[in-house]
Amino acid sequence: MKNLIKKITFALGLSSFAIAVNAAELVVIVNPANPATSMTSAQASQFFLGKSPMFTPVDQAESSPLRAEFYKKICDKDPSEVKAIWSKLVFTGKASAPKEYHSNAEVKKAIAANPTGIGYIEVSAVDSSVKVITALH
Amino acid sequence: MTIKPYIALLAMSAAVSTAWADDDSRFTISGFGTAALTATNTSDAEFARPNQAAGVTTSPRTGPDSNFGIQLTAKATDWLSFTGQGLVRKNVTDNFGAELAWAFAKAKVSDNLSFRVGRVGLPVYMISDYRNVGYANTMIRPPVEMYTQVPMESLDGADVVYQNSFGETSITAQFAYGKTDSDNYAGFTAKLRNMSSINLVAENGPFTFRFGRVDAKLTIDDYSGLNTIVGALTKYGFSSIANNMVVNDTKASFTSVGLGVDWKNIVVQAEYGKRKTASIAVPDTTSWYTMVGYRIGQFLPYVNHASATQDSARTVAGLPTTGPLQVLAIGANSVASAAPLQTSNSIGVRWDFNKSAALKVQIDRMSPGAGSNGTFINVKPGFTGPVTVYAAGIDFVF
Repeated sequence: MKNLIKKITFALGLSSFAIAVNAAELVVIVNPANPATSMTSAQASQFFLGKSPMFTPVDQAESSPLRAEFYKKICDKDPSEVKAIWSKLVFTGKASAPKEYHSNAEVKKAIAANPTGIGYIEVSAVDSSVKVITALH
Repeated sequence: MTIKPYIALLAMSAAVSTAWADDDSRFTISGFGTAALTATNTSDAEFARPNQAAGVTTSPRTGPDSNFGIQLTAKATDWLSFTGQGLVRKNVTDNFGAELAWAFAKAKVSDNLSFRVGRVGLPVYMISDYRNVGYANTMIRPPVEMYTQVPMESLDGADVVYQNSFGETSITAQFAYGKTDSDNYAGFTAKLRNMSSINLVAENGPFTFRFGRVDAKLTIDDYSGLNTIVGALTKYGFSSIANNMVVNDTKASFTSVGLGVDWKNIVVQAEYGKRKTASIAVPDTTSWYTMVGYRIGQFLPYVNHASATQDSARTVAGLPTTGPLQVLAIGANSVASAAPLQTSNSIGVRWDFNKSAALKVQIDRMSPGAGSNGTFINVKPGFTGPVTVYAAGIDFVF
């Protein structure tokens, strides 16, 4: 398993992260067709906080610990703060809240199917159907 | 209250059942609400939100701060969608009534550009669009000193929204054009025509900067107090003063700036706005507030200071101050000083006790200025203030 992770991260040109890899490490993923190659977590957070419509964010399930960890890491916010931010956009009809998927595999499938999709999964779930653009520590 | 909003709500609830039957999720239904109790420490005046006909005194009531909204969005194609929002609250009458808050068709032309046609939110203030969504806000209500300046909440017409990111800064520019009619709790109707609205928002990390400007031609219909004094002034030869008081196709504007900060545990929200009109019956005013909060886990305690002052004269010059005609001056001055003068200090806490619900408790100390009843209504003779307002409520979204 560890070998596999190393291979994948190496293949993605992220070998420097391989040392730090553990099961809970999260990565931000996009569709392989997306021209973006990397971005800062501040840039990535714009999509997940509804500040930029360029990419379509998808979320993990509300009850998922990955979701809480992701928002803590990417923008230092609790899920309830994120929900309050989205409710500002939703109830003005300016945007719809991110769709929820219930596993890494489902998120990956949604991103692989949507050229403008952006999501987050555990690094161990990464495969060639998606492209990693940010790793979160 | 007319029948129309009910029909809209019925249509929406019919659509809800469709939404739940629909698997491809072309319909999204979402809702929000606040269940709150509000009370004050005086029986001499009622505390109410802007444009409510009835408020509260010493017995706790649900009226001022409770509401319920439901929103349906139907996606017709990738680029075309329809959104309707119904809102139930107490407003210009002393009943919980249903209103059609917004109803618009939205065409997304590109990732950066969209057009909306129908009834859209009128972005007078920084939190205009979600002022009724308690869950989206820190405080239990928008500061009444500022949000009473322009009570209109929507615009019937069209708008264009441009959104783009430059590095880590995102820009939203909105331009709207249309009209709106607003019934006032005092019994008159304010009509805004040729209304244009510019709303610019820049967000960078924890900072949000906002500039807004609304221009319109304002006409006030059926304001018997105003009509009486204008008629009397004209009759007794003060027609130039009368002309300055008439509100008919009168130039009116509201200019405001806002700041939001959400940096580490510190939360700041501040706005400053100026109202200007060409009639002395709708006084020029300045209003502002600053809220500072500090997040401690799921708790967000905050303090707020708000102020409303009048820039134009509260007395009308050139009228006799003695003799039988001084009644004209009294009448004219009461019209020219109709804007509330008030400052308030508030303290409160928001507790996110649940994933989709928050509990808020807020205490305000509101001090009407000299010669003003502040934002209080149904005032008894001799009322002065200051007044303490207590409120507790639960905000939820679904």
